[in-house]
Amino acid sequence: MEKTKDILLDWRLHLSVLVITVIAEAIGVIAVPIGIGSILLLPLLYAFVMGLILNPNVIRKAEGWMGQREVRAASPLIVIAIMPFIAKFGTIIGPSMEKIIAAGPALILQELGNLGTILLAFPVAVLVLGMGREAVGATFSVAREPNIAIIADKYGLKSAEGAGVMGVYVIGTLFGTFIFAILASLLATSGWFSIEALAMACGIGSGSMMAACSGALSHAVPAMEEQILALAGASNVLTYATGLYLCIFVALPVTEKLYDLLGRKEPAASNAGE
Amino acid sequence: MSTAELPVDYEANTKPDLGQHAVLLAAVSLIALVGNTVATDATVIQGLVGLAVLYVIAMVGLVLTHVVPINLPSVAWISLVGILATLPWTPGSAWVLDKVSHVNFLTLATPCLAYAGIAITRREISIAKSSGWKLFIVAVFVMTGTYVGSAIIADLFL
Repeated sequence: MEKTKDILLDWRLHLSVLVITVIAEAIGVIAVPIGIGSILLLPLLYAFVMGLILNPNVIRKAEGWMGQREVRAASPLIVIAIMPFIAKFGTIIGPSMEKIIAAGPALILQELGNLGTILLAFPVAVLVLGMGREAVGATFSVAREPNIAIIADKYGLKSAEGAGVMGVYVIGTLFGTFIFAILASLLATSGWFSIEALAMACGIGSGSMMAACSGALSHAVPAMEEQILALAGASNVLTYATGLYLCIFVALPVTEKLYDLLGRKEPAASNAGE
Repeated sequence: MSTAELPVDYEANTKPDLGQHAVLLAAVSLIALVGNTVATDATVIQGLVGLAVLYVIAMVGLVLTHVVPINLPSVAWISLVGILATLPWTPGSAWVLDKVSHVNFLTLATPCLAYAGIAITRREISIAKSSGWKLFIVAVFVMTGTYVGSAIIADLFL
């Protein structure tokens, strides 16, 4: 229990989060209309930005308020703070169980859509940006923790592939919620896809990405909120259940083959990421 | 595979010490209660009861993570408990739904993202800085490709 006291005693950390939450919720959702749709700015995005501003690693001046101790204390709290959210998520999925079962085949097959990253991002990385082996790690998946584990296991994290997966992981951590929220709100208002399909696609990343994505989507189409959250949640559960195997047995081997075809021929002279 | 090399596992499984989690979960629930009061028309009492119900669901999930010898992340257990508590054929599900309806879903994610912003380490920033722009472009394409790919396939089979 000594450790619990320590973490609770980081009162500056918790007070900061409390104040950030109040400011973020007081601002509320802002819709910015652009061309084919509108981008929804959500309180959780402001909260992330305000957290970064108070982070002494980002803004040196924040050191006066919080130090490395608070930064370290914050990371286990991310998982704990998401728990009430996940519990609420469950209570949204439960009543919609029949709809989820009805959408079953589409839900399972859309996991294959994860391979879209290879089709779109791999050619850009190798042919346009001239990346080396980093491209394999960077583009074979959406680069969340299970995917890092696969790369760490196969190539080691100090390898070029490891640098690639870590890079995308970090960018995803920093900007993933933004990118997914923007994608979801743009596509929702564009009318190119059905809302159910967009909701399922929201489940492909981490919990916070799914939150931002399904939140943006349900703000764009409030009448379908329950269905959106239920489908995104079910898809996210499936991603955890099946995504790992898809990556090991399909995505990574396909990326390797593509690298043999398109990649640089000289052996692993890593110079990307300068 | 050396786990020491892995980055901080934001949303991965942690082996919970139940006592610690009970206290910290109560603390983040209080922050969420303040957020909920600011964000919605629900009264403090309505929010408190709703969050208390969610707290119980989360704790049951944590206990299951601890007790059941299947290695699933705690968030998977928690969502499972939430689902089971609100299935139409579960006795009392209407009561649970009524209580949690006063808690705004997105508001619950706000404190989490605030902690996430504060938790970014120097190492993560230096990776982002050193191999910055190329990886940024690739990452945007990775996420767009995955999202649009999934949406296309889901659309085809709906």
